[in-house]
Amino acid sequence: MTYEINIESRTAKIELLSRAGTKALIAVDGHKYDIDIVMVEPGVYSILYKGNSYNIELIGGDTSKKYIVNTFARTFNTEIVDAETKYIRSRSKGLELEGDDNVASPMPGKVVKIPVSVGEAVKTGQTLIVVEAMKMQSEFKASGDKTVHEILVREGDTVNAHQIMIKLK
Amino acid sequence: MIGKVLIANRGEIAVRIMRSCRELGIVTVGVFSDADRKAMHVRYADEAWYIGASPSRESYLNMDAIIDVAKRSGADAIHPGYGFLSENAGFSERCSREGIKFIGPGPFAITTMGDKITARQTMIKSGVPVVPGTTEKLTDENKALGTVSEIGLPVMIKASAGGGGKGMRLVKNMDDLLPMFHMAKSEAMNAFGDDSVYIEKYIESPHHIEFQILADQHGNVIHLFERECSIQRRHQKVIEETPSPLMTPELRKEMGDKAIAAAKAVSYEGAGTIEFIVSDNLDYYFLEMNTRLQVEHPVTERVVGVDLVKEQINIANGLPLSFRQEDLKQHGHAIQCRIYAEDPENNFMPNPGVIKHITEPLGLGVRSDGYVYEGYEIPIYYDPMISKLISWGISREEAIARMRRALYEYKITGVKTSIKFLERIMEAPAFISGKYNTHFIEENNGHLFTPRSCGTACEDMAMIAAFIDYIDKLEKLQHRKENGKMTSGWKAFGQKRNVLRH
Repeated sequence: MTYEINIESRTAKIELLSRAGTKALIAVDGHKYDIDIVMVEPGVYSILYKGNSYNIELIGGDTSKKYIVNTFARTFNTEIVDAETKYIRSRSKGLELEGDDNVASPMPGKVVKIPVSVGEAVKTGQTLIVVEAMKMQSEFKASGDKTVHEILVREGDTVNAHQIMIKLK
Repeated sequence: MIGKVLIANRGEIAVRIMRSCRELGIVTVGVFSDADRKAMHVRYADEAWYIGASPSRESYLNMDAIIDVAKRSGADAIHPGYGFLSENAGFSERCSREGIKFIGPGPFAITTMGDKITARQTMIKSGVPVVPGTTEKLTDENKALGTVSEIGLPVMIKASAGGGGKGMRLVKNMDDLLPMFHMAKSEAMNAFGDDSVYIEKYIESPHHIEFQILADQHGNVIHLFERECSIQRRHQKVIEETPSPLMTPELRKEMGDKAIAAAKAVSYEGAGTIEFIVSDNLDYYFLEMNTRLQVEHPVTERVVGVDLVKEQINIANGLPLSFRQEDLKQHGHAIQCRIYAEDPENNFMPNPGVIKHITEPLGLGVRSDGYVYEGYEIPIYYDPMISKLISWGISREEAIARMRRALYEYKITGVKTSIKFLERIMEAPAFISGKYNTHFIEENNGHLFTPRSCGTACEDMAMIAAFIDYIDKLEKLQHRKENGKMTSGWKAFGQKRNVLRH
């Protein structure tokens, strides 16, 4: 079984050569690792390799193929790349994502204020929407001199993480 | 004597107060909002009563609802914790009018100190130095502009009713003044129900050092030494320690005496904290008094050996202080790290959500004051603090090493936390040497925000774990599908029956 994995900016080829119980032989970019791997708690793996003990935590991402991986020293964003992922990616150019023209909150919260209205011309840095979470207000500003195309939320609404709130044009 | 206490708070502090009550054999009454039905303080309390909707203004700031519960539950006293109604003079007064003991100072001390402007005037009278700034509340834009042109930039805008960094803004450019002024007002309104703000000259490279005091109803006031709180982000403390690496025995004596004088000036009762700003050359200015228990009180408890909540309750019972000044000594060194549900890499953006997994550190010299558990959802309505981790060591070096060990053991998944960021602070040379001020996080940006390298093997292990998890997940899914086909027995039965019919 072979997959590609993106880890931050690196893409590696990963292959399962053999597996028996907790023992596994896995090749990463051709480098063979003879390891002992076991899930010790939900989402937490213990890996023994050459006598070293690695405790690795996985946090599920937006899709089942994405993981945030915590090691002792640092946190990585990883994504399993399979045929489906590649296909979606080739089509995703037209898809709507958080980008320059879409204003989304990175955290869940409550819309406190929307000082702009649809059709209004806004300047770079102008406040479009104020979201409050945990008693902290964050202002989301225009990324360029643009026009407010659509407002998808109202003052007092609760928003989810990454929900698009305002579209600019 | 107090036999039943209502805790008008939530989160870790509500649990912490209930712990001391439990040790004293006092019955605890918890209160909760819609968002907090599953919160730990509701589970821990002997009694738990509903007080309103999730936004603080409708529940934890709702005096009528809280007083009503106190009466119906038969509570003798109310402990306000920190934040919410803890520094609300009207609430303290209301409690005494209703015949319920407020565990804290009377309305006079809270009004005088809680209104930061009056506090400044009172301190000047008692000979305690203060930071230059406004002498009255700022309500309109013109006055704000006028004050700033008088005292010069940079300035701090602070909520007059404030504390805990809420409604506080640093202004460096004139252009930012008015937007910041309005945001501070709006935040202050949400957090404290009062939108008055004031402006103070901003002291460059300041150290934030505070003194813990205890005052009984008989006029006895003692201090429990200092806490160094200079490591802050967004004017909110992140790490506190005692003793302060900056402190000298002479300065400690002098500032301790001023702290006692400050408390006496308002006939203080209970536990309180006098905050000072200290410059590099050890000039100090009164900043404000917090007329309540502080978030960082555990470091003092650990080093001085006093349970501050128990002392608060003793004082409320009218007992004299259990200690005299000369009985108190600092033993060893304690550090507290605040663990927040936030993303340090993304401007410390709060990150509420469900705790998928948590392992709290244990072992010698470690204390963890928290309230979350596996499966608990941190609500969006309240503070992002998950817990406080406190380490103690015989020396500062040992306390730091122990904190690093404890942070290493601390595992939380499901929400982003500041744990890794705190680990980097513990490794920062400026922190280790003890030479830091409130600009520490800005000045050590490079060190604090550069991810540690973990080597190729470690990076590969991260990928392997994700890979194994994914293929095992796939396999389970396929297994379920196959089983699914086998168990759709009605179809098979129908087919068989059709066969039999023919």
